[in-house]
Amino acid sequence: MKYKAALLLLLLLFFHGFSVKAIQRFPRPEFETAYSQPETLLPQARAEVMEVVDVVVLALSLSLVSWLVLKKRSRKGVFWMSLFSLAYFGFYREGCVCSIGSIQNIALALFDRNYILPLTAVVFFILPLVFALFFGRTFCAGVCPFGALQDMVSFYPQKTGPKLNGLLGMVPYLYLGFAILYAATGTDFIICRYDPFVGIFRMNASFGMFLFGGLLLITGIFLARPYCRFLCPYGVLLNWASRLSHRHLTITADECIRCRLCEDSCPYDAIDLPLTDKSPETRSSRIRKMAWIVVLIPALTFLGAGTGFLLHTTFAGVNNKVILAKQLATPANQQIKPEPFSVTAFRTSGKSVESVNLEAREVIRRFKTGALALGGFIGLVFGLVIARRMTGRWHDDYLPDKGHCFSCARCIDYCPVKTKLPKNTP
Amino acid sequence: MKQKTLLFGALGMLVVLILFMVKDLFLSSPEPGNNPWKYDLETMKQADTMKPAYTMVKAIPSGLQGLVAIATGPGDRIYTTGAGGAEIYDSACRLLLRFDFEDTAYALTVDSTGNLWMSMGDHVEVWNKTGKKLQTLKSAGRGSLITSLALTGSSLLIADAGLKVVYHYDHMGNMINRIGEKDPVRKVPGFVIPGPWFDLAVSPDGSLWIANPGRHELEQYRFDGQRLLSWGKPGIGIPEFCGCCNPSHFTFLPDGSFVTSEKGIERIKVYNPRGKFSAVVALPGDFDEGTRGLDLATDSRGRILVVDPVRKQIRIFVKRSTTSNN
Ligand code: SF4
Repeated sequence: MKYKAALLLLLLLFFHGFSVKAIQRFPRPEFETAYSQPETLLPQARAEVMEVVDVVVLALSLSLVSWLVLKKRSRKGVFWMSLFSLAYFGFYREGCVCSIGSIQNIALALFDRNYILPLTAVVFFILPLVFALFFGRTFCAGVCPFGALQDMVSFYPQKTGPKLNGLLGMVPYLYLGFAILYAATGTDFIICRYDPFVGIFRMNASFGMFLFGGLLLITGIFLARPYCRFLCPYGVLLNWASRLSHRHLTITADECIRCRLCEDSCPYDAIDLPLTDKSPETRSSRIRKMAWIVVLIPALTFLGAGTGFLLHTTFAGVNNKVILAKQLATPANQQIKPEPFSVTAFRTSGKSVESVNLEAREVIRRFKTGALALGGFIGLVFGLVIARRMTGRWHDDYLPDKGHCFSCARCIDYCPVKTKLPKNTP
Repeated sequence: MKQKTLLFGALGMLVVLILFMVKDLFLSSPEPGNNPWKYDLETMKQADTMKPAYTMVKAIPSGLQGLVAIATGPGDRIYTTGAGGAEIYDSACRLLLRFDFEDTAYALTVDSTGNLWMSMGDHVEVWNKTGKKLQTLKSAGRGSLITSLALTGSSLLIADAGLKVVYHYDHMGNMINRIGEKDPVRKVPGFVIPGPWFDLAVSPDGSLWIANPGRHELEQYRFDGQRLLSWGKPGIGIPEFCGCCNPSHFTFLPDGSFVTSEKGIERIKVYNPRGKFSAVVALPGDFDEGTRGLDLATDSRGRILVVDPVRKQIRIFVKRSTTSNN
């Protein structure tokens, strides 16, 4: 506990170092030339006091949901809280700032000294993780508007089974890796680019965005919380933090009586069934497995890193500077007609082709390291997932899988053991 | 069976969505053609469909070379200045006097005796109503460009767009204090003035208001420099202030309401004394494109007088319901 608190303090101090209070933008001068500058349109800044309100609402919501889950064990309470969060963080705050997207702000701030990291983004990034570290994913249960929206449509959830869960469960790791890579290289905030629900919250988006969000919600009718389980990059971090939580929700209030009533209660396949009939492993089989794991994890990590390195130019191809350099290098007869705006803008900027190429080369150089790290990370995750499967831990209770459980408290309602019995009860 | 179909249907849809993301990220090429970020003022101007509550009743052609500033004086006389001269009209818009000088007057205010206090760039000159120079105040310094003046019983307030500060002088030209310089201790944010548009005015109840165009705000100050209040929001909507730096000019109606003018999208609007939008006076369709420097004045009858430097006119607007009285 002490260790966690110290870690948390260190993290807060570390990120606080990056935060600088937002300052008034510097206005452009009006020069006395024939050129008339176009007027700029500014989005309305959110009052500072309202940002504090957001942070307070987040902290209170997390505390309340954690209390409802762990102390009150109330599914009803969690449901009402998720409705509130959907209304406040979703429709009122229009899905911004969100913890999911804040990953990118943090990544960019770590790699770009000039980026001013908003303090609100830091808090939205850290606070749900801190709660997960102590109490499990209570953020997912009743604070995240994305989760709440998907929960509202989850009418006929179907079981996916461990294999599909495992396979599709790799996507968030890839998404997280790419989101960090592209944010850190200043390429794009892809989590925001493919945000499925912000258009619905704002009632204002392109047709493509609405379609994307709509189709995901339709998917969510039969596949509970598809974004949270198979896409959400922040879910990866919450998963890690939640695995360490001591006070995670339990399905039963006391000893599990293995009545099997909760077995099918979880729409997210997040209940670990008892592993009771496991025949004791021989020593040689355990050694063999360990040897495999010891070889497999580094091998997959190196393989991933190598693949990432080989693909670094493909990954860098998303960056605007690289795209522009490629277009300028394309022979005239193969160029896109009429020329893209980026090319027109370049021609009027007075910049030289050489300077664009230099910039693109620098971006590609950064991608070399980034893609190598990304590949290594994905390989490592693959290795760890396989290792976990090979070494299933014996237990005879129905337990929530701490990493994947959203602490939604549904299963609690199915359990007939509602209170903790006093010790020495026969 | 049915459950399996539903499950695989949903999984298929999810996989398609993931593939769409991958394709969009890695395989899409830049769109040919138009500028997706084009700032199209025209469509925004057309969006201003709110009907003005004011109407123009008169446009007085000015004989001045360049028309810059306007003020009203005793008896609702109308005073204008600009490049090389000044004009005085009576309240019925008949020309009483025109006199010349060498410089350009950038700002104007009129005292209770009808004397004209004019900014000649970096300093203030006082001329009487017969066109005789009475006094020249000290220059505010290098880089100074005085764009607005206001008088109270004992004070002269000077807005300096060049040095981005307001000076509080006595009537003899002695500086009392400076107002609006950035001061985090007193919570004064400083003026953001990207162009030669920096206005101030004293309200009918005697309080000092200064435009902070880069912040799209009007700010109220005590004469000792203490910042009290502010209002105003950036935006393209009618109640907001558009562009990089607006309002460019403002003044007060006799009831304490604010009258503001903007450049970029030429608009004149009225806000109540608490800064809440209340009426439109004129919209872009009432001006030639690119008109800037719509200096404002009001008279005791609540008429709004506007300098139109492009058409070289003093244009007078009145509330629609009172049109028949004018
Ligand atoms: S609380 Fe229970 S039902 Fe809800 S996600 Fe966790 S295991 Fe599944």
